[in-house]
Amino acid sequence: MIDLSRRTVLIAVAAATACAPVRRTDRNSLVVGLTYDIDTLNVYSTGFLGDVQAAVVEGLMAPDAHARYVPVLATEVPTVENGGIVIGTDGGMTITYKLRPNVKWHDGAPFTSADVEFTWRAVGNPAFIAESKDGTDDIFAIDTPDPLTVVCHYNKVTPTFATTLFTFGILPKHVLDGVDLNTAPYNERPIGTGPFRVTDFKRGQYVSTERNPYYWRRDAAGRQLPYLDSLIFKIIPNSNSLLMQIRSGELDLVVITPYDQAKQMDALSGVELLRSPLLQWQHLDFNFRNPTLQDRQVRLAVAHAMDRSALVRAQGGFPVAVESAVVPIFDFYDSNVITHPFAPALARCILDDAGYRVGADGVRSKDGQRLAFRFIVQSGKGDDELAQQVIIAQLQAIGIQAVADNRAGVAYRQARYKGDFDIMYSAWVTGAEPVYSRFYGTRGANNSLKYSSPAMDKALARMEGTLDPVERRRAAHEMQRILATDLPSIPLTTNVAVITKRKALKGFTPNPTNMTPFVGCAFWRLEA
Amino acid sequence: MSARWLLGRLAGTLPILLGISLILFMVIHLAPGGPMDVYADNPSVTPAALERIAEAYGLDKPLPVQYGLWLKSMATGDWGYSIRTGRPVLTEVAERLGPTLQLGGVAMGIALMISIVLGIVGAARRGQWQDRAIAGFTLAGLSIPVFWLALVLQLVFSVWLGWLPSGGLQTIGVDAFADRLAHIVMPAGVLAIATTASWSRYIRAGMIDVLQQDYIRTAYAKGLGERAVLIRHGLRNAIIPAVSIIALDLASVISGAVITEAIFGWPGIGSLFVQSMDGRDYPVLMGILMMGSAAVILANIGADLVQALLDPRIRHA
Repeated sequence: MIDLSRRTVLIAVAAATACAPVRRTDRNSLVVGLTYDIDTLNVYSTGFLGDVQAAVVEGLMAPDAHARYVPVLATEVPTVENGGIVIGTDGGMTITYKLRPNVKWHDGAPFTSADVEFTWRAVGNPAFIAESKDGTDDIFAIDTPDPLTVVCHYNKVTPTFATTLFTFGILPKHVLDGVDLNTAPYNERPIGTGPFRVTDFKRGQYVSTERNPYYWRRDAAGRQLPYLDSLIFKIIPNSNSLLMQIRSGELDLVVITPYDQAKQMDALSGVELLRSPLLQWQHLDFNFRNPTLQDRQVRLAVAHAMDRSALVRAQGGFPVAVESAVVPIFDFYDSNVITHPFAPALARCILDDAGYRVGADGVRSKDGQRLAFRFIVQSGKGDDELAQQVIIAQLQAIGIQAVADNRAGVAYRQARYKGDFDIMYSAWVTGAEPVYSRFYGTRGANNSLKYSSPAMDKALARMEGTLDPVERRRAAHEMQRILATDLPSIPLTTNVAVITKRKALKGFTPNPTNMTPFVGCAFWRLEA
Repeated sequence: MSARWLLGRLAGTLPILLGISLILFMVIHLAPGGPMDVYADNPSVTPAALERIAEAYGLDKPLPVQYGLWLKSMATGDWGYSIRTGRPVLTEVAERLGPTLQLGGVAMGIALMISIVLGIVGAARRGQWQDRAIAGFTLAGLSIPVFWLALVLQLVFSVWLGWLPSGGLQTIGVDAFADRLAHIVMPAGVLAIATTASWSRYIRAGMIDVLQQDYIRTAYAKGLGERAVLIRHGLRNAIIPAVSIIALDLASVISGAVITEAIFGWPGIGSLFVQSMDGRDYPVLMGILMMGSAAVILANIGADLVQALLDPRIRHA
């Protein structure tokens, strides 16, 4: 019999745990909690926002905290004024990027124009299964007259050139030339030019990075960035564990705090919460295939029946009410946009005047046409289903019946794009250079409403066919005016990202775009 | 028990697995959503791009065709590719199996040792304070929800005392036995408690039954000590009914502990399953579920074998 007395066991356990370092000692490293499991570190094929990728891979430009583009690997953002953009007589355009000299990849190899040209070819390659090939088709040729000059030839004037391809990130030609991008080791150990380089990627656990010794950027005092020695991304899908690890000091930063944990995080000492706007808005859409919904008075009544504050409350108080499809952070936003305040009495009057009388069942109708609609949201999306219930109640209050007809997966996609619904609640996310013709243009790829207005098409063409910022803003205001008049879609709320960070983390700027706050991580530092 | 019996049993698993795979395939496709849902709000992923991706993964084909293709490749040992990561399912599953077996193995080992002791003591001191204390513990162990216990332990040992890390397999960048041990203590403990509670009750019931037998009285009568009677004559007989239950629980280890792994950030099969479920990653889900089903079937056969070894009266012809 082994003498396994209680005391020996306790001593052994205590000894084993005592020598395990729980609290981190190296204070110049930041531990970030990610709420999702990373699929791939390739920016072009990930289904998620590229938090890790933004710290590792850089593009020619990146959007800043105000969703405005600033140069990164290019020396300046090309414009017509600085000669970077030349409009051709044939309707096309040519964009010339001057690349930053002395930039090196994580392995020390020089970054050149050949890498930029390679990125365009590799992403556009049909064999590469990528979520976003945006922008590859707009370019028909790229010249690289010297290692620091890239000349891109576009088929047409493309004001949104910055939102795609070269902003996401540049791929290293010397590593990936001739390699199958679908299965390349690059997807787990990406080589970039960013401030941090990946040292280890353990699936389901973490990605650890270290400072890139070759990083090109310096601060105002001339000191090489980044300030931090390493950034560690821990994958913690469980929101309770996220809170626990912030409390125990194992985590320093969570960029998307689940709304249900935010209030508890706020109460912790040494921790602060930031709310960062997102380029996303929720909206209620009308299908113009339904003859009753073609009646503008019906849509107008619905607009006045929407109590946005109730929608915000139903979602924990975090979303912000909006009246325009252009979220307020954009320069294009029209602060004088026509609004439709919550006024159920007015909504009922509008329907009365339009001849819709309340029937015995409380539902209005005119000439046998009942105001009863099939209402679709994507099933399984908790917040959307919640909002749907609130909207159903608000419509009922003015005598309109909406019946939830939610679908999922292929069925949802089919219904959404083929127009098999009456009204729909959903959200759109845009890049920093939004393309609204997708949603409201007669031929828009995402316009499944059959909404078609010549005036709208004209405003969109003006907005998306010019590089003149004043003209673009004027066209955007016109678009917002038409949207608020035609009401094919009622903008309701915009979401915020709740960021939990340790107060000791300085130099942090939120970023509303899909480039995430990590685009600025070179400037982050920890103060004692 | 003959080799023929064993071969027959093994051959019988094939049609069972086939039936299970058909049901599983139907059920996971019944769940709302699909692998393309993650792109639903992203307007830059155009309908055309969605079609292209769906086509690349064969998701555009009718379900019976998809099942047929899956079965065909499975028959050749090809488990397919994960839709989420683009990596082979076998690689995905294999790299999560290690942590899961580690956690499950440690937890089940602890549970087996403790539950045997508790079962014997409970039966031998039936009705006395020891038995009542054990009954109280098992009742608590069975009724306390795992997620609650896990969170309380994290709060006490990670947040208040700072003794143990609240999650993960190891400290990032550290590869030491003590560090691994510190990480496994809480999740294994949580897993072991519920299992111990359930197993010790089976063993106690079996022991009580056995201790009333004549041969136990005889053993005492011929002057054997209590320890020898309880273990050599009592436990060996009492554990036979518990073996099949323990075997099935052991088999379930391979499917991972979904809740415990999620709360402690343990990178095992359970976490992979949840993530694959969220992303509707059908090939990975099928891989995990089939592996779990096969393990349960094999554990059943294993339980029969062990019972025969323990009890010479049981013979498989």
